[in-house]
Amino acid sequence: MEKVVAVIMVGGPTKGTRFRPLSFNTPKPLFPLAGQPMVHHPISACKRIPNLAQIFLIGFYEEKEFTLYVSSISNELKIPVRYLKEDKPHGSAGGLYYFRNIIMEDNPSHIFLLNCDVCCSFPLTDMLEAHKRYSGMGTVLVIKVSAESANQFGELVADPITKELLHYTEKPETFVSDLINCGVYVFTPDIFTAIQEVSTHREDQANLRHLSSFETLQSPTRALPQDFVRLDQDILSPFAGKKQLYTYETMDFWEQIKTPGMSLKCSGLYLAQFRYTSPDLLAGGDGTKSASILGDVYVHPSAKVHPTAKIGPNVSISANVRIGAGVRLIGCIILDDVEVQENAVVINSIVGWKSSIGKWSRVQADGDYNAKLGITILGEAVIVEDEVVVISSIVLPNKTLNVSVQDEIIL
Amino acid sequence: MKALILVGGFGTRLRPLTLSVPKPLVDFANKPMILHQIEALKAIGVTEVVLAINYQPEVMLNFLKEFEKKLGIKITCSQETEPLGTAGPIALARDKLIDGSGEPFFVLNSDVISEYPLKEMVNFHKGHGGEASIMVTKVDEPSKYGVVVMEETTGKVEKFVEKPQIFVGNKINAGIYLLNPSVLNRIELRPTSIEKEVFPKIAAENKLYAMVLPGFWMDIGQPKDYITGLRMYLKSLRKKSSTKLSTGSHFVGNVLVDESAVIGYGCLIGPDVAIGPGCIIESGVRLSRCTIMRGVRIKKYTCVSNSIIGWHSTVGKWARLENMTILGEDVHLGDEVYSNGGVVLPHKEIKSSILKPEIVM
Repeated sequence: MEKVVAVIMVGGPTKGTRFRPLSFNTPKPLFPLAGQPMVHHPISACKRIPNLAQIFLIGFYEEKEFTLYVSSISNELKIPVRYLKEDKPHGSAGGLYYFRNIIMEDNPSHIFLLNCDVCCSFPLTDMLEAHKRYSGMGTVLVIKVSAESANQFGELVADPITKELLHYTEKPETFVSDLINCGVYVFTPDIFTAIQEVSTHREDQANLRHLSSFETLQSPTRALPQDFVRLDQDILSPFAGKKQLYTYETMDFWEQIKTPGMSLKCSGLYLAQFRYTSPDLLAGGDGTKSASILGDVYVHPSAKVHPTAKIGPNVSISANVRIGAGVRLIGCIILDDVEVQENAVVINSIVGWKSSIGKWSRVQADGDYNAKLGITILGEAVIVEDEVVVISSIVLPNKTLNVSVQDEIIL
Repeated sequence: MKALILVGGFGTRLRPLTLSVPKPLVDFANKPMILHQIEALKAIGVTEVVLAINYQPEVMLNFLKEFEKKLGIKITCSQETEPLGTAGPIALARDKLIDGSGEPFFVLNSDVISEYPLKEMVNFHKGHGGEASIMVTKVDEPSKYGVVVMEETTGKVEKFVEKPQIFVGNKINAGIYLLNPSVLNRIELRPTSIEKEVFPKIAAENKLYAMVLPGFWMDIGQPKDYITGLRMYLKSLRKKSSTKLSTGSHFVGNVLVDESAVIGYGCLIGPDVAIGPGCIIESGVRLSRCTIMRGVRIKKYTCVSNSIIGWHSTVGKWARLENMTILGEDVHLGDEVYSNGGVVLPHKEIKSSILKPEIVM
């Protein structure tokens, strides 16, 4: 029986300062989107793959950050999920190679590689079938984006009939293609050989270059250690056009979750997806016995929402939250243990764990997910006093706001 | 004799520095802030210091063990589980502060630096025979603070006026108290304000006396005041003809350099600069009115003024930092970068200039 394993790259603490202030206390992969930790979404998608044997999370966070999550998700899904800590960054392909022995334990025929901070529908089963048809070494999930935004990503050129990957370039200055790399791949075990070739080649180059110091100055890879192998530049680019790599295009949504603003947008995308895949997760209510719910809303079973509150669209409410009478929530993520008191309004914001929003206070932003202050973010244990207005601001943990603020970062 | 230092909370005003260490451990003049106070207390014979904290006790406790040994003074913590205001923590630490001897105990606010004339305060306290003594300091703009109205000759406190609209006096509470154990009976274990509830009662009974603090005083709980405070502190070192201040043609005004720091040639350092342990200041660097924390490297030809550079950061060549630029721990500024009041959170790399005051997260 052909077994499949999945590897999810979760990153580590010194990278990703872009996720502050939400990342001060929680590793980004565990930040909740649509009520579930970010990494849960690719993990659930992997669970749907037939013959999935194991899921590995690779990162350089401390192991203890993931122990609880990993054991509870293993129990819940009845599939071994393990966290493997890199001792130092090896690059996206280098990490895979570093743990190859563990990954190949069950002799899988195929290995999925996913980036944790990618938000999409993860059509992994279809992707695997396509990959088997192509019979190459690897298949890359791709999506068409607007020509203007394409250069923020890795751009690919694919043969329209065979779907072969013909050309790959990372963040090019001029337009190459509107098809971009989604950060989701499936490989056969040949990938490990390919990665090893890159390492060896780099060592040979380094040895050769001892002869010419001028050349050493020119080479962009001169600074990279031998075992640091990037999937994009070091594997996809050189192997393109050699009938080894193929593409599978998704027509669904795709976003990268790099900032808190994007996490709110992606939470909304997953909530919308729940309507098709798991509608029982979404809240319902019409204001009589329970609060009025508009659009896609997630409410944790332990949260208490007053019936006169109106919630949604795109709201996610975490555990032990208390939403008081007459509260209006639109486009927000309310994290664990928050109290939103009577008649408060929260729009386009993220309210951090244990925070308190006072009566008649107003926390809002314009909702531009890409702008620095487009979403208002309150860190852990922030207190917004009664009747205070907080607009387009970021507030670091443990602050008390007793005067209104706008367009500010409050340390 | 015992003492209580009110350490309190999260030190958010001193962020980004307090994102890396709790506020009492932020270095001031090359020494953790709280060490200045503990040393002053030890010098007049205090045998036990209690720290009233409500945050990160583990980090504090490790540091304290080290200092207990070095200084030969007992240091313990009293942890608030809920905020108790400015007087509540004193009640919480009651059992540690009373030893049956009837001796008064000190209470210090941890954000304050001054010359700590504690011996004079003890004599003052014994002299007036009242129940409590507080230090007051003269300020230019008293209406920003709580003013202590007192009799000039005896120091007997008449009343406290919070942010007075008209001039009632120019002495404010300096955050240094000497209290008889009986004061503990006046403080309930609940959120209480010492200025609003406890002291006014003692004053009404004519048992509260204020002594005017000789020398400098500063609340260094925020970066601007931290820099001003350093100037005052170094000036007082100069007055005492301290050998700790650097001398030589490369130094201007008052400069404190840790002996393990290395300074290159052609630099001009000062006035009002503190350079911490293990720092490397390369050649041609100009530093004025700034604090360089432990382990920082400042590369060649760079100019830094009115700024604080956090632990283990590096500043590139030909950089210019000014106007309250604050770098948190492990921040790396590239060559030729200009920062006008940039406030950079820990673990960042900055490659482009910050043209106007901005927080970089």
